[in-house]
Amino acid sequence: MTETVLEEKKVDKKWEPKIIAFLCNWCSYAGADLAGVSRIQYPPNIRIVRVPCSGRVNPYFIIKSLTDGWDGVVISGCHPGDCHYISGNLVARRRFAILKELLEFFGIEPGRVNFMWASAAEGERFAVLIRKATKIVKELGPNIKFQKEWC
Amino acid sequence: MEQKILKKDQIGKLYNEFVGEYNFFAPINKKGNVAFEKIENPKDIVLDYLNSKIPPKSVLFPQNEVLFEYTLDEKDVEITDRQDLDQKILIFGIRPCDAYSFELFANFFSFHGNSKDEIYLKKKENTTLIGIGCNNPRSTCFCTSVGGNPFNKENMDVFLTDLGETYLVEGISDKGKKLIQKLPWLSDASKNDLKKAEELAKTAEESITTKIDVDAIVKNLETSFEHSVWDEISESCIGCGSCAYLCPTCTCFDVIDETDHYNNRGRRIRIWDTCQSCLYTMETSGHNPRDTKIQRCRNRIMHKFSYYPTNYDLLGCVGCGRCVIVCPANNDLRVILDKIKNIEKKEGEKVVA
Amino acid sequence: MVIETDNKEITNSIRENAKKLLSENQVDIVIGYSQGTIPLSSTLIIVRKEEDVDKLIWNNLCYINLARYLAPLMPQLCDSEGNSLRIGIVAKGCVGRAVNLLAAEKQVNLDKIKMIGFNCNGIVNRSKIDLEIGEKEILDVSISGDDIIVKGKNWEKKFPYDQYINELCKVCQIKSPSATEETCVGECQELDSIHDEFSDIAEFESKSADEKWTYIKDALQVCTLCYSCRQACPACYCNLCFVDQNKPIWFGKTTEFRDILVFHLVRAQHLAGRCVACGACSSVCPVGIDLNIITRKLEKIVKERFDYTSGLNAETVPPMMDFKMEDAEEFMLEED
Repeated sequence: MTETVLEEKKVDKKWEPKIIAFLCNWCSYAGADLAGVSRIQYPPNIRIVRVPCSGRVNPYFIIKSLTDGWDGVVISGCHPGDCHYISGNLVARRRFAILKELLEFFGIEPGRVNFMWASAAEGERFAVLIRKATKIVKELGPNIKFQKEWC
Repeated sequence: MEQKILKKDQIGKLYNEFVGEYNFFAPINKKGNVAFEKIENPKDIVLDYLNSKIPPKSVLFPQNEVLFEYTLDEKDVEITDRQDLDQKILIFGIRPCDAYSFELFANFFSFHGNSKDEIYLKKKENTTLIGIGCNNPRSTCFCTSVGGNPFNKENMDVFLTDLGETYLVEGISDKGKKLIQKLPWLSDASKNDLKKAEELAKTAEESITTKIDVDAIVKNLETSFEHSVWDEISESCIGCGSCAYLCPTCTCFDVIDETDHYNNRGRRIRIWDTCQSCLYTMETSGHNPRDTKIQRCRNRIMHKFSYYPTNYDLLGCVGCGRCVIVCPANNDLRVILDKIKNIEKKEGEKVVA
Repeated sequence: MVIETDNKEITNSIRENAKKLLSENQVDIVIGYSQGTIPLSSTLIIVRKEEDVDKLIWNNLCYINLARYLAPLMPQLCDSEGNSLRIGIVAKGCVGRAVNLLAAEKQVNLDKIKMIGFNCNGIVNRSKIDLEIGEKEILDVSISGDDIIVKGKNWEKKFPYDQYINELCKVCQIKSPSATEETCVGECQELDSIHDEFSDIAEFESKSADEKWTYIKDALQVCTLCYSCRQACPACYCNLCFVDQNKPIWFGKTTEFRDILVFHLVRAQHLAGRCVACGACSSVCPVGIDLNIITRKLEKIVKERFDYTSGLNAETVPPMMDFKMEDAEEFMLEED
């Protein structure tokens, strides 16, 4: 879409961001499931992709999501020390630190890509953080900077 | 041919005359690099240049070009071909070496008449070339060694000579002569103008210092495929592909598909490729016939100076010197050709391949 | 400090050390720089015999990082069975850093490498000079005293040396290789860490997101995706680069700005903790893009987060191959 079309989207009050969420199977995915089972309401903007561990998340996934048109990305894993694979989330944490700093350095809004820890018992926490992430992305507006131009 | 004079401050007028009918391409300055782009404002045109960084092949054979687009619905795929191939193109300010490169392109894109690349050929048919002679060839230019000349008018439609304050305008082809008739406000050239143009042409030709014995090289290459000279020649190459990208005669391309699966559409694009890339000849089986740098460096030289003469009876090099200027490792083509020329006639050692 | 005399001294010391290594049979070959055929250039030379050492030079135009030829190892640097020869490598500071980095990543065997170290006095910024001269042919570039003299057919221009060197050279702190005396002849030092305030990118970092985006877009828009920067980089030695992968195809290869941006962004991510700030990427770019602020940012990130500077020795594990429980996580999303 051209930039003018996306600018119009921003003003449209009914626009809802599309956020892709990479959740680690053992903690965060279970946490999201718990939120659902406990009937805790959280915004429906996220689409979940289950990965075995947050360490599986390659920075390519995050950047490709942004170039494919997703407005926001959330990656969630186990708390440090609780990883099912011992240290996958620690590996991921260093990657995320670099990526977040680089995105900010290139002038891409830092709020689009969010990392969080949520365990299998923390349904409420999961919902709270997703609510927060959605709010941040909604305020940023549609993802214009990364989109390809299809005329 | 009728000779006219175009004053340098009349370029804007010429632009306005043609911009309605043609897509007007001319050299502009892109952050210090001269490139041929579509002109929106005639003030952007740069004519006081030696030669462009990016060759004018980028006008007819761009770095990335959509071949066709498609949309999907439940039952069918609908393909939309290019709709803009009938548009007329005017390339203004092209040098003789680059104009000649389009002749080499014609061979490549209409491969022995068997498979024609419609997209390129149609665009070329609708293209008019207005060229400018080189008053000051670079020390790295060697067009005279490969059958060219800084004032070669053959491949142009209209030819301009920079006389200082004015340009001498000559219609070369029928297309060019018709074009000039659309500019009745051009003044006539005087005998002095013609004389000055001749002198400039002579001075330019004499000022080309790089001379290459191309015949000897073509002959030597016939028997030097396995020679150890390629070892030495490919030492400093870093395999970047700048030479191929900026070469006006390099035509290799890759074809990629881009899909927007969320919207059920996609497009097929062709992008520049380079034989210097290590994956260029990678086959689906996993075998790579040219997986060493030596083989790839050898391929580029052989293609230009051996395979082209064998297949098309033409040299694949126009002597523009861009590869010499841009090579990051200073793998100077003139030094390479010199080494090949001096290969002795005995059997060389087998190449470390 | 007079650049011209320094260059003569450095050239002599390189030649003497190269001769020593070859005559004492400590190395089989020496790789270094020799005179380029056009102004503002230099080229690689492989010296196999003592009598050829006089072809080695040093002249502030030696911008290629020679460690790039070590991984993947060029066939010309191997013996007939494909094993690495003993290589002497003319090493300015950043070349030494690159060799250490490759050794830490197990790509080269330091036992087979001898660095010929010297105190580098910087590399001339080719694209800056080209931009200033414009569309006139440069026929000669030389250093006289503390000036760069650029000559054409009927003209001459002078540039003050310290203002026209690469941006990375202006803030460089590792001018000679960080290596032990076993691995290095000539000038070298043994560094554990360096101190760096990164004040040169402080101004850029204080800009707003939109201003940064405009700056980056303006700088990268001319990129032709020729991949010269990747090819010249000693740290980019992957057999299959991510842009060439097709199972799956991650990112586009056209020159649309999104594809250009993504290439540079992902390459920066891959170089975190590995970039040695040699500036070869900027020097080889055919359209003159200067990536120095990205390089400096990468160095800043790993220094501040992990107290690491790449290429000081071959033992420290690079930060992206490591992790610690106590790593900072201030960027994580947390409940209010």
